[in-house]
Amino acid sequence: MKVLEIKKVRRYFGGIKAVENFSLDVEEGAIVGLIGPNGAGKSTLFNCVAGVFPPTAGEIVFLGERTAGLKPWDLCRRGLARTFQIVKPFASRSVLYNVMVGAFAGTARRSEAERRALEVLERLRMVKIKDARAGNLTIADRKRLEIARALATRPRLLLLDEVMAGLRPTEVDEMVAIIKGLRDSGMTIFVIEHIMRAIMALSDRIAVLHFGSKIAEGTPQEIARDERVIKAYLGEDYGAA
Amino acid sequence: MLPSRARKLPLVLVALAAFGLPLVVTSATYLHILILLFLYAYLTTSWNLVGGFAGVLPLGHAAFVGIGAYTSTILSLQYGVSPWIGMFAGALIAAVVGVIIGLPTFKMRGAYFALATIAFAEGIRVMFENIDHLGPFQINGPRGLQIPPLKTGLVHFMFADKEPYYYIILVMLAAVLALTWAISRSKLGFYLVAGGEEPEAAQALGVNVARAKLAAMAMSSFLTALAGTFWAQFTLYIHPKSVMSLDISFEIAFIALIGGRGSIAGPVLGALLLRPVSDFSRIYFGDTLPGLHLIIFGVVLVLVMLFQPRGLQEPLTRFYQQAMRRLSGGREAAP
Amino acid sequence: MLFIIEDTLNGILMGAIYGLAALGLTVIFGVLKVINFAHGSLLMVGMYVAYWAVLLTGVHPYLSLIVVVPVMFVFGYLLQDILIKPIFKSEKEVREPITVIIVTTGVWYILDNLALLIFGPQYRNIQDNPLRGKMLEIGEMMVSVPKLWGFFTALATALLIYLFLQKTRMGRAVRATSLDRDAASLQGINQYRIYNIAFGLGTAVAGVAGVTLVPFYNIFPTVGVLFDIKCFIIVVLGGLGSIGGALLGGMIIGVIESVGPQFMTATWTEAIVYALFLAFLFLKPSGLFGVKYDW
Ligand SMILES: Nc1ncnc2c1ncn2[C@@H]1O[C@H](COP(=O)(O)OP(=O)(O)OP(=O)(O)O)[C@@H](O)[C@H]1O
Ligand SMILES: [Mg+2]
Repeated sequence: MKVLEIKKVRRYFGGIKAVENFSLDVEEGAIVGLIGPNGAGKSTLFNCVAGVFPPTAGEIVFLGERTAGLKPWDLCRRGLARTFQIVKPFASRSVLYNVMVGAFAGTARRSEAERRALEVLERLRMVKIKDARAGNLTIADRKRLEIARALATRPRLLLLDEVMAGLRPTEVDEMVAIIKGLRDSGMTIFVIEHIMRAIMALSDRIAVLHFGSKIAEGTPQEIARDERVIKAYLGEDYGAA
Repeated sequence: MLPSRARKLPLVLVALAAFGLPLVVTSATYLHILILLFLYAYLTTSWNLVGGFAGVLPLGHAAFVGIGAYTSTILSLQYGVSPWIGMFAGALIAAVVGVIIGLPTFKMRGAYFALATIAFAEGIRVMFENIDHLGPFQINGPRGLQIPPLKTGLVHFMFADKEPYYYIILVMLAAVLALTWAISRSKLGFYLVAGGEEPEAAQALGVNVARAKLAAMAMSSFLTALAGTFWAQFTLYIHPKSVMSLDISFEIAFIALIGGRGSIAGPVLGALLLRPVSDFSRIYFGDTLPGLHLIIFGVVLVLVMLFQPRGLQEPLTRFYQQAMRRLSGGREAAP
Repeated sequence: MLFIIEDTLNGILMGAIYGLAALGLTVIFGVLKVINFAHGSLLMVGMYVAYWAVLLTGVHPYLSLIVVVPVMFVFGYLLQDILIKPIFKSEKEVREPITVIIVTTGVWYILDNLALLIFGPQYRNIQDNPLRGKMLEIGEMMVSVPKLWGFFTALATALLIYLFLQKTRMGRAVRATSLDRDAASLQGINQYRIYNIAFGLGTAVAGVAGVTLVPFYNIFPTVGVLFDIKCFIIVVLGGLGSIGGALLGGMIIGVIESVGPQFMTATWTEAIVYALFLAFLFLKPSGLFGVKYDW
């Protein structure tokens, strides 16, 4: 079953063509990667999918329903969660509080929200810092908090926007394991990432954006061999390796 | 964490003291000051629902005070409706007005909302100053409405002494504090804080930020209007300048900001600290140094914003918790 | 019919002075992205400075500009440097710190009531000045001379600010900061110094507005409040941050205020002004010339 269908989506900002004629299907239970140089339009595509702004043209279908007119909170309640590339914690509040905000998407009861939040924190090994002020966290913990909040909404589809940028290698490995674990529990994941090692290890399929257009799509092996991708993004070194 | 009984004990003590206070304070002047103190604590706590938790800056709450005061007074003077009923009629009207202000402005940020609320409140005041009759209702323009003290007693919300007023406002304050506490722990409370701090992140987590703020605004204006009726019944004379002036709106906001907006204790603390300043400087320096208390307000406000932007509530809470911990820790150490 | 033209004309002149007052507010907003609630109080301070300068020296009211402009500039510069800058620094990540609005509100209360303490509540005016009560006869119409002076001062000030922003190095730095403060600081522009300068400039403009009022207006401690709310209304009408919008918005208010009383009581015209303001706020919050801000 297709969880997400992106059909010929464009998004322009004035004269800037941030996304141009992009199509992609995301199958249930898959991890799909999205890569491309800085400014390629990856985050813009995520914002269209998550309902932050509508596409200039094209159509997005989530779980069989067209998303035109749906706001971010509507989509969230239908099972779509996302993280922000520039993390946005509720800085003055505790980690647990942050995650409970997400958990309230599925319940109105405080005790249940707290239970769900703690469950997520357990899974991401963050229970120790549950009472820390979110504004005081390290960058790695902030990124994990972004994921934790999104998970607490119990999504069917999770959009991750560069959650590994700025992490140390061991932390990256840990994050890869966590994301794989999420998929194994049945979640579908659409992930933007610059760290090649991670995206190659994670993804079932990868799409490559370049100046807003999709220049390639395929398995990690196919992408690593693709001439155009190597030229546009990976660089000669990566292709040779 | 503190043992919960140790935390509740001081609350119980404070409540008992508040209820017993009129036994000790018999001077009408002091009782009057205390009543105003609680009234402002009540108003500020109501303001805090939207100004504190929802992270916007409403500067026109006097309009709701005025709507409450005028509605119940007109209903009781012209139609003989008990002010207790008029109180809730006024509150409903205020809630509707609050939502009308909020609808277009909550989508914008800070400054516009503050400006819109000021303009709305001033607009309503100017209107009331200009009209003698609003349809069948007598408003009397700038002369306002006098409530003749004919029938006293609880049903008429009118008393010869100050004690009953004291107890009424005390109960109202306790109720609004309990309500705030409940909201701050509820889904709505979480959504307000989230939407106030990071609206985009909140929306991505399923929060309809504008709707949460509207709910808060409706409640806040409803509760504020209730106090308007109290004000009318307490002073027995209302006119646009007395119940709708910009000064009231600003004083409410100042008290909340200095005490610590977004916290439950903040507004009460702010009122405790600032109301006496304004009352006593008016009593003792009113003639020689007019406006002294407003200078003090201004200076305290600026200093608090510079050095303690989350209000005086924060250091005091920390101090209090440390003291409690030491106390309870001491008890545990000595079995 | 003639009296309507006469009222309109006088309304435009007075409105230009309102616009001049609002101009300072819009300059500050354009750069700092915060509404300075103390703006009316700064105008009041400017009026007192001008008043004393004229009273003590007996010069033409407009000569007091020599004193008022630098004094007010320094005053505003220091105000921003001492009270507002620390907040911007501590709330870097906040897009539009509400705390700044609050501090300026505190400053409003302090200034107004200090003036009350020092000068008392009485209304002051400069009885013998060459502009007071002067009327210009155009055919059968009477036009107020001091307001005419104010009108031209407003135009000249707006033009000077426009030229400053467009033609000078400093002005370009100010504009860069107002567009994107992070990008500007990356280019080596000291963001906080620009803020100081913008605040000083806005305050100096409030002072100029004060000078134009002194020949014909009463001076009292809360005179600023009258202008405060008018300025808010004007900048929303004209579009926050727009120089031309401030002048035009001011003139609209001025005309309503002077023509309105022909048809209704003066206080009702006040209500109409509020209604207009709210209509704009709800229907076209970016105002006549405003940029649509992302907030
Ligand atoms: N809200 C916006 N308004 C105007 N232009 C925008 C907006 N958001 C993005 N852009 C532009 O769209 C283009 C694509 O940006 P986007 O953030 O989607 O890139 P990205 O692939 O996520 O890059 P990065 O790897 O740096 O995160 C850029 O040129 C950017 O400047
Ligand atoms: Mg991006």
